[in-house]
Amino acid sequence: MYIGNEMNRIDALDKVLGRPVYAEDLSAKGALFGCIFRSTRPHAFIRRIDTRAAMASPGIVKVLSCHDIPGENLFGIIKKDQPYLAQDRVRCIGEPVLIVLGETEEAARKALQLIEVEYEDAEVVSDPFLSEDSTALIHDKGNLLSRRKVIKGDIEKGFKEADVIVEHTYSTSWLDHAFMETESGVGYPDSKGRIVVISSTQNIHYKQKEISRLLAVPEEKIKVVQATTGGGFGGKLDVTVEGFIALSVHHTRRPVVMRFTREESFLSNTKRHPLYIEYKTGARKDGIITAVKVGITGDTGPFASYGETVCLRAALHATGPYEVPNVHVDSRMFYTNNPVSGAMRGFGIPQLAFAHESQMDEVALMLKMDPFDIRMMNALKKGSLTATSQVLQNSVGIIETLRKVEPYWRKRSKKEDRAGFGLGCMYYGIGNTGVSNPANACLNITGDGKIALHTGACEIGQGSDTTLVQILQEALGLKIEDIVLVRGDTDTSKDAGSSSASRQTYISGGAVFDAALKMRQYLDEKGFYKGRPIREIYASEADKKLLEHNGFFDPPTTPVDPETSKGSPYATYAFATHMTEVEVEPETGCCTVKRVYAAHDVGRAINLKNVRGQIYGGIAMGVGFALMEEFVPGKSESFDNYYMPTSMDMPDVEVFVVEDREPTGPFGAKGVGEPALIPQAASIVNAIKDATGVRPFELPCHIERLKMLLEKAKG
Amino acid sequence: MLPDFASVSPETKADALAYLASLDDVRVIAGGTDLLVNMKRGELCSNVVDIMNIEELRLLSGDGTDIAIGPAITHAAISAAAMLNDLAGSLSAACGWIGSPQIRNMGTIGGNLANASPAADLIPPLLIHDTVLKIESQEGKREERLDDFIVAPYETSLKPHELLTWVCIKGLPGYREGYRRIARRAAWAISRLSVAWAVREDGDRFVDVKLAIGSCTPMPFRPRNVEKFLGGRKKDDHTIGEAAALVVEEIRRITGDRPSFAYKLPVVKGLVQKALRG
Amino acid sequence: MKIVSFALNGKKVSCEVQDRELLLHALRERFSIKSVKEGCGIGECGTCTVLIDNEPHYSCLTLASKVDGHDVKTVEYLGDAGLLHPLQKAFIEAGAVQCGYCTPGMLLSAYSLLMKNENPSDSEIREAISGNLCRCTGYIQIVEAIRDAAGLCKCKP
Repeated sequence: MYIGNEMNRIDALDKVLGRPVYAEDLSAKGALFGCIFRSTRPHAFIRRIDTRAAMASPGIVKVLSCHDIPGENLFGIIKKDQPYLAQDRVRCIGEPVLIVLGETEEAARKALQLIEVEYEDAEVVSDPFLSEDSTALIHDKGNLLSRRKVIKGDIEKGFKEADVIVEHTYSTSWLDHAFMETESGVGYPDSKGRIVVISSTQNIHYKQKEISRLLAVPEEKIKVVQATTGGGFGGKLDVTVEGFIALSVHHTRRPVVMRFTREESFLSNTKRHPLYIEYKTGARKDGIITAVKVGITGDTGPFASYGETVCLRAALHATGPYEVPNVHVDSRMFYTNNPVSGAMRGFGIPQLAFAHESQMDEVALMLKMDPFDIRMMNALKKGSLTATSQVLQNSVGIIETLRKVEPYWRKRSKKEDRAGFGLGCMYYGIGNTGVSNPANACLNITGDGKIALHTGACEIGQGSDTTLVQILQEALGLKIEDIVLVRGDTDTSKDAGSSSASRQTYISGGAVFDAALKMRQYLDEKGFYKGRPIREIYASEADKKLLEHNGFFDPPTTPVDPETSKGSPYATYAFATHMTEVEVEPETGCCTVKRVYAAHDVGRAINLKNVRGQIYGGIAMGVGFALMEEFVPGKSESFDNYYMPTSMDMPDVEVFVVEDREPTGPFGAKGVGEPALIPQAASIVNAIKDATGVRPFELPCHIERLKMLLEKAKG
Repeated sequence: MLPDFASVSPETKADALAYLASLDDVRVIAGGTDLLVNMKRGELCSNVVDIMNIEELRLLSGDGTDIAIGPAITHAAISAAAMLNDLAGSLSAACGWIGSPQIRNMGTIGGNLANASPAADLIPPLLIHDTVLKIESQEGKREERLDDFIVAPYETSLKPHELLTWVCIKGLPGYREGYRRIARRAAWAISRLSVAWAVREDGDRFVDVKLAIGSCTPMPFRPRNVEKFLGGRKKDDHTIGEAAALVVEEIRRITGDRPSFAYKLPVVKGLVQKALRG
Repeated sequence: MKIVSFALNGKKVSCEVQDRELLLHALRERFSIKSVKEGCGIGECGTCTVLIDNEPHYSCLTLASKVDGHDVKTVEYLGDAGLLHPLQKAFIEAGAVQCGYCTPGMLLSAYSLLMKNENPSDSEIREAISGNLCRCTGYIQIVEAIRDAAGLCKCKP
């Protein structure tokens, strides 16, 4: 068996030796350094730009503006409304206006100080609730980016049937991805007259397409390569440095390096959407949930990025992993002149989990039910209808995950007054929502007798390289020495889609499996399984094209109805339950997370060590989300005033892997990258309520906020 | 990136003082953890005098309860020093909390003092140890109490040509000492509030209590009226409660009311009570 | 400019550095040691960690001239592909590596700990690495790895 084991990651050796080449480690002879001149105004018209002093500054080679863009200035992963370089208007602090290219980094950054811009301030929209009616239009078609509803059953009837109704408002803040490696890349013109961009990224084919639009050249003229990438978490899906680099190479025909400082990364990178969630739950006195009504208001900043996705995903998952017969969700995403929000691990669902899990506990409290029992009663099962009326056919492991933590839940006991226990459950649709999002993979046989796996799936630390290789091993019965991984280069791999939405194990894994089936048949015919060496098979094949086998997988989904969201937006869902124990010091509000039991239905664990690693990492992010992380525009400039958890903030964790096999997944596998995070903050919040009698409705519930809540409760 | 400057690394105090007297626009660098960050963020200077090679500034000496700490001693070294653990436990504890292990290997007591942040972890413990600073320049020597040395947040009485040469504290044998700080994560975070204490008890009475509160007022301070109140009093819940309330009153008297006080004052009360109870 | 002479990963080296040059850049640019990273530049992330006289420091806040006469170690000192240090082996086995960006600094902080404390408790381990941020792993497998490596190796200078 090559899967379901504790195999060491194939990239770990290089990493412990300090060998991997990240984008900033690449050196290019004669490279220029590019840096970005950014807006200091949240919303303003640009009246005058004077770059003469900058251009005359020593070491400055060129200053580029939007007028230097041969193709399209607007980019965007879904809706193309974000300028690479501002034209006559800036819509947020930090928006790029110019690119300055210098012989050295120091020369380029010095020249930034010499650029003069005259802004005429425009009305600023900073409140998403006021955005809709504001006359200050951020884009021509109004300030509402997206509105999605989920309508199932009869919501009025549902509340009439309820014996208790619980209604609360929850709110969350901006968060930063805080990947350890900031955005960086290198570009150069190659000998074939193409432009090559090597960058820290979560996708390559998307960036190739955008660059080709930017420069108005065919895609074949652009090559994108993924450097070893130091974390992504959703923050390296949008074009970050790649467009600027390509434009700079286009104009100078020289290599160009670009690297964001941490401050630049905090200023310019997309953030987790702050969401304001109005949640109303109706339940019968036996604990059955009859109705869920949710209003979601989100602030996406001035550009769409993944705002539509978050708007929709938040709506679709708003009920939590429960079967609710009557649902009404109204999710609205507004443009503002606040920081740009985009994809961040979970796409709005960690925020909704905070809400739906708090609601479950509050309903349980009202009914004097155990929080565990109310979840068991309402949990989705095989045959259940989701909020979009999708019938869940297979791989619905939520009850199994609850059962894994049950023994610990039942025997929980407060040794001290200040201890508290909380549950958090979640479900998460794997892959992009209701749209085609396939992956391609290609297998080939090499002259030196190996099977080469060509994939565009970007390894960002989550372990996809190892997982895909293991799937291949299992499908073909190959030892690791017989495999060569060729990854992350648009020249040598087909589009695998982005490393996002926890999709690579399921979808690229599916494509690899599909290719492997074809390769297996070929190898079988050629006698490999009877002992014939691969090298010989290669040599004996006259038509080398026959050595190549392509794989493809596109999850079977249906688009959701534009009015009601009825449909099957995901082919499979991951499920999880976290149980958290906290200790709250009432004198100070200090909340220590002591222990977490985390049970995840991953379909099939391809690599147990990797699955655990993802869950531990997700729990850390959940601790941050619940207790300390808060990006405050203008204040959070770097890690000195944006706190993410250290080793001393982490609880002890025990992981339980549930494998409710997904028939459409490679060997039954689904995904775990985002699920790892999603229920954690929710379970901490419920534990705080259990410990103190006080419920946080706003995150982060840091030490001072918690103390204030405790004081308020006293008085 | 850092702005341009010239640096020198004298090996004697005399050489350092000579540089400070003769160089223009000059700063002292010890660990560099404050200075270099400030310089990356826009502060400029033309000359930097690195004092970490001067052995005289890294000495620790004790004579009874008079302890002299060299300003270039790192936080890590202070928290490991047995003499300070015994006679100045709150200082040792505070040094064990500053920053991270790396910062504690790099940062110095002199640097923490010269930076004079309202949230500086070392200042409350140094206040309860009646710290006197010795300062030298080519023009002469002077001594100054810590209370007077810190003029305002981030401002001390040190002139550009002056060098802090000794941090002199009074050890407190027989006292129960401690330091507690509040921060937004378990390690490596700025103190939002801190309390240092040294308590001598005899049976059921407080004999002598020293307290210092940090990050609450523009500069860390000792509520001397409360210390006086506690001297000789019975150690019971009533006394402890009253003392804590007096501390809060004193804070209000110094700074008026601040929005952060809705959080901070109840916490100060609770921490002072805990410190007194032991 | 200054000449700075020091021991780098066990070898005596010497180079000319600018007065304002940081050790981080000297190591990366003059000695091509790319394993030392610049995650934030202000001593708040730990990816630039190096050992100076066997104690962890942030090289992004250390002037290059400061290491004159001292001993500097980067992760390259620990081992190579032919002979991994037990810590490196343990990191691989425990699953303590994901994106790898924090790994060199983390290994050095761990190495320094094991030099001083052959049998650290879990809380001592967590404290020793509390100045190295990791966004991927949640630290748990890193602590496991350091625990596994302790006692297995004699971490001597």
